[in-house]
Amino acid sequence: MKKIVLTAGLLIAACLLMTPGATLYFELGDGTRCTTCHEMQPLYDTWHSSSHRNIACGKCHGDAFTVDVAFHMNNAHRAYSHLRGDLPEQIGFANKYVLEIDQQCRSCHREEYAKWESGPHSAGFARIFLDKKHNTANMLMDDCLRCHGMYYEGGIADLVQPVSRTGPWRLAQPELANMPSMPCATCHQVHRQGEPMQKSGVEGSRPGPTQEVARPSLALFDRRTQLYVPVADLPMPAMKEGERAVKMSKDQRQALCYQCHAPIAAMQVGSGDDRTGLGVHEGISCLACHDQHGEKTRASCATCHPKMSNCGLDVEKMDTTFVSADSKHNVHWVKCADCHTKGVPKKRQETNQ
Amino acid sequence: MWRRPGMRTDSSHSPPAAQVGRRVFLGVGLAAVGATVSCTRGTAGGTWRFFTPAQAQTVDAICAQLIPADQDPGAKEAGVVNFIDLQLSKRFKKYRAVYQQGIDAVDAASRSKFGTRFVELTGERQVEVLNVVEENSPVFFDLIVTHARQGFYGDPRHGGNRNMVSWKMLGLPFPPVRGREHYKG
Repeated sequence: MKKIVLTAGLLIAACLLMTPGATLYFELGDGTRCTTCHEMQPLYDTWHSSSHRNIACGKCHGDAFTVDVAFHMNNAHRAYSHLRGDLPEQIGFANKYVLEIDQQCRSCHREEYAKWESGPHSAGFARIFLDKKHNTANMLMDDCLRCHGMYYEGGIADLVQPVSRTGPWRLAQPELANMPSMPCATCHQVHRQGEPMQKSGVEGSRPGPTQEVARPSLALFDRRTQLYVPVADLPMPAMKEGERAVKMSKDQRQALCYQCHAPIAAMQVGSGDDRTGLGVHEGISCLACHDQHGEKTRASCATCHPKMSNCGLDVEKMDTTFVSADSKHNVHWVKCADCHTKGVPKKRQETNQ
Repeated sequence: MWRRPGMRTDSSHSPPAAQVGRRVFLGVGLAAVGATVSCTRGTAGGTWRFFTPAQAQTVDAICAQLIPADQDPGAKEAGVVNFIDLQLSKRFKKYRAVYQQGIDAVDAASRSKFGTRFVELTGERQVEVLNVVEENSPVFFDLIVTHARQGFYGDPRHGGNRNMVSWKMLGLPFPPVRGREHYKG
């Protein structure tokens, strides 16, 4: 009897240890063993040539010592599906794991993470999807998930209930309430080809023609195709003010902003979610004023003003939305004529001549 | 031995583990290792899910003739063969036999006409062989033409249209810049 109990116990222990054991086996192969499943080959290849090539798979994907039964069960389920020949079209992350990976990003990119965390792009699901003001005026729809909660597996009706303009609204999964709806993986593809980040002392980090403008990971996760589109391939809209073509900055990084801060089809400045600079700020890149991760603009005026200020006033104290959100003059589109309603005086230096 | 938390045990009643469990432990351990190793061996390995490497080469070459590259990329660059291979392991399972027979027919026609495999022929000769296949194996030919189009123009998430090459060729901006109108409550 004791032998039977012992045998059963050992069998159960062996079964329980088999999955983490297999995970350990894959880890020890430095990623190459993962490619025994052919669907893993493209993922391995992209990682191997990426800027994160020195980060072991287990750091982001979990390893044999991950204390999460669901993680190991998921691995066992995948192995079972693989052996059955039920192969996925694509391999991606579940919403839950994308959010967990944010914490792995944090372990190395602390400064960027802290800025992002203090900025608007770290807004949680509750902040975005349970906004009474928004939901009363605008019907919730699946398209919301294009920019918010893009990794969520399901439609808007699975996420928020009821889908109506009357509410009261609640999240079907309350645990998502404080989870970021725009995680790091929204704009960064970890497996994208590129060189590892250098701390200092390299040509690429010094101002000048060889300075690195954007990290290779910069890409948009497109929910519709479930693929990343590198920032270089993203389209830049041809913005208009009425019939006039608006001067656009050539900073390609803006293409990423335009995917969500987008105008409606007529491409008019200020339509939809567009914030293209107009007036005194026409032709300036979004990133000239908005800090990359925190989106903060507080210290940005000093980059150009007062050096490029035309009227000699302290621009930070002028009546714009920079000072107060209630101002009638949106800082994105403010023009000299907004204040000089009887005509814009000539520049002081021109008057002196 | 399992025991309830807080339950007292009398070691004198417990059998010495080494005496009772050595063979059992080794047996179970070996079984677990065997199962783990078999699990980690994978099923097929390599790049392809359905095709053999030789078949994939042939299908790739056929597609390259159906949608050749010019100033823009063609089916080869778009990874159409990857699309077909992937879909043959999923929604196109019912077409597996047609592909197996069709690929054999292409190579057979190539050998009988030029004495060598299809992939080793020049582009002009490949077209000649495909003309024969179109006549003799119309079901396969129509099917691969349809699948080549789907793989070239379809959504990249299904395995083809690599880097959205056909959409770029057509000048379709992707992802489109499309905002939403906002209403005030």
